Amino acid sequence: MENLYLPQLSIIDKIVDETSDTKTFTIHFADREYNKKFRFKSGQFVEASVFGVGEAPFGFASNPNRHGSFDITVRAVGAVTRAMHDMKKGDVLGIRAPLGNSFPLKEVKGLDILIVAGGIGLPPLKSLIDPILDARKDFGRFIILYGARTPADRVYKPILEQWSKRKDITLLQTVDNPDDGWSEHVGVVTTLFEKIKLDVKRTVAYTCGPPIMIRFVIQDLLGMGFPEDRIISTLERYMKCGVGKCGHCAIGHKYICVDGPVFSYQQIKRLPER
Amino acid sequence: MPTGAKFVVEKQAFLKSLESIGKKNTVIGPVLMDDGEVTFEPLKSFKKLTFDYVNDFDPLKRFLTPAKENLFTFNLEGRKPRLKAADDVKPFILFGVRSCDVQGFAHMDGFFSGAYSDDYYWRRRNNMTIISMACNKPLPTCFCICCNGGPWLESGFDLQLTDFGDRFLIDVGSNKGKKLLDSLKLKLVKAKPEDEENRKKLMQACDEQMQPTAYLAKACIMITNNRVREELWQEMGDECFSCGGCTHVCPCCTCFDVQDCMIDDKNGVRFRCWDSCQYAGFTHEASGHNPRVKAKERVKRRFYHKLSYAYIKQDGHPGCVGCGRCITVCQAFNLLDISAVVKRLRRDGAIEVETVEQREAAK
Repeated sequence: MENLYLPQLSIIDKIVDETSDTKTFTIHFADREYNKKFRFKSGQFVEASVFGVGEAPFGFASNPNRHGSFDITVRAVGAVTRAMHDMKKGDVLGIRAPLGNSFPLKEVKGLDILIVAGGIGLPPLKSLIDPILDARKDFGRFIILYGARTPADRVYKPILEQWSKRKDITLLQTVDNPDDGWSEHVGVVTTLFEKIKLDVKRTVAYTCGPPIMIRFVIQDLLGMGFPEDRIISTLERYMKCGVGKCGHCAIGHKYICVDGPVFSYQQIKRLPER
Repeated sequence: MPTGAKFVVEKQAFLKSLESIGKKNTVIGPVLMDDGEVTFEPLKSFKKLTFDYVNDFDPLKRFLTPAKENLFTFNLEGRKPRLKAADDVKPFILFGVRSCDVQGFAHMDGFFSGAYSDDYYWRRRNNMTIISMACNKPLPTCFCICCNGGPWLESGFDLQLTDFGDRFLIDVGSNKGKKLLDSLKLKLVKAKPEDEENRKKLMQACDEQMQPTAYLAKACIMITNNRVREELWQEMGDECFSCGGCTHVCPCCTCFDVQDCMIDDKNGVRFRCWDSCQYAGFTHEASGHNPRVKAKERVKRRFYHKLSYAYIKQDGHPGCVGCGRCITVCQAFNLLDISAVVKRLRRDGAIEVETVEQREAAK
């Protein structure tokens, strides 16, 4: 029987500073065969261990079509994430993955795609954005709205720069507190809705960010007439095992780690606690 | 000897035989301790074995999911850490288990199976042989008859004993039980219809002595449909000490925490230990956000898990076996054990709420 709780030893290939408190780690599995065969889907997550400190969940932040390594973007907020920030290239982590369900992707071919991300909510959505860009012609319009507290708090700044230059992506960014160099929008991410025209009947929306942001985004999308099953979000809870056993991430009788983290609003609204 | 077979055997002969195989196998059974309490522990000899007990206050789930269990050890010397999964478990016989705890095991079997089958649970479970003991006498806190938890069972055990004084009635519940019974090499007599009648009488007498009640149906309906007055949850939250005792003694509660601990500079262990949804820290996120910061939310959560239709449907059973341990353990003057809460909800009555379906229909 497979041991659910034993992590795979994994090596840090690269660490990129994203913001003052956030870094992106590129990781591969130490076991060559395992690394070669490993696959994941957009929206799934990993449990990353720092031995002696503990384990914490992170959404995949890289393209599932890229094999051989993957990225996670980590903000230093707790014991595990702070310990990860102290690590360097070549250091060893434990990884259990892939865990959780995934974003619907094949099912939405032909539709316009709307991505609404806030702060550290962009990384899990990047695992969706990348494969959409790989098969760009399979989808309609592609709109990305990204909000952060300050310009410096945005993750993936060079990638945002690339996306903003592409003609087949509409990228709008906003911050709560601008600095002198900021020429784009100011305000919460939902204020960007006024600046875009959406064909609600043929659009699917994906949102990820702080819970309060998600709540207002969903409220506005419903107001625009989005069907409930075309609003896709991720839910987050304190989590330990990642395999539906420890009980921490339960909402009603659903477990974020195995029934989620991806839910449609149609599913979310039926949960007894939200 | 098919599963479902029933035999009658001399009690002393059975115990003697079990004691003799206990020399080579671990037999865990009810033991009278010096302080007069009865607890289940490995029996070195049967001298301290007692039948003067109804149940161990400490739930027997501890033999399947110990309060603290190592998942693996790690050694951080050298370039790559070396991980070593916890050692295997040796077979053991759990003797004298009460029906409610057997039902608790059945509940946990379901929970730890499925797509993510928990091998740490199953390596213990598969190595455990259950000899259960039907209850002739309940405790003042027992209410298994409300929860399909006893006083005797039709399945779930390997062998089930019913105490006839000088004899046991034995039900064979599984192939494992059959093998064990064969290995005891006993003179077995096929049970006669009057033996079964005798059991029925004993069980009915036990049934009639049950004092607490947990008429679950109304509470299940109210909780499932969110028809409990919010103020009542608030009251219960105010009364709760959030001590987590009810969850720790519950045979159906399985939540655990996972922690790393360094033994010395280079060696450490990752273990899991019982956790409780009644602790404020249970849902406390690193960001500081806590969706169940109020005790009221946590009490609500506990009973949603125990009694909502969503969970009953998923588990095939309410999250209660009527063992009554939460009645014994509740620090809040017995206001919040499951029997008390079921009664409070029932007497408070269901409030009118609009369901999701009704809201849709109204659009």
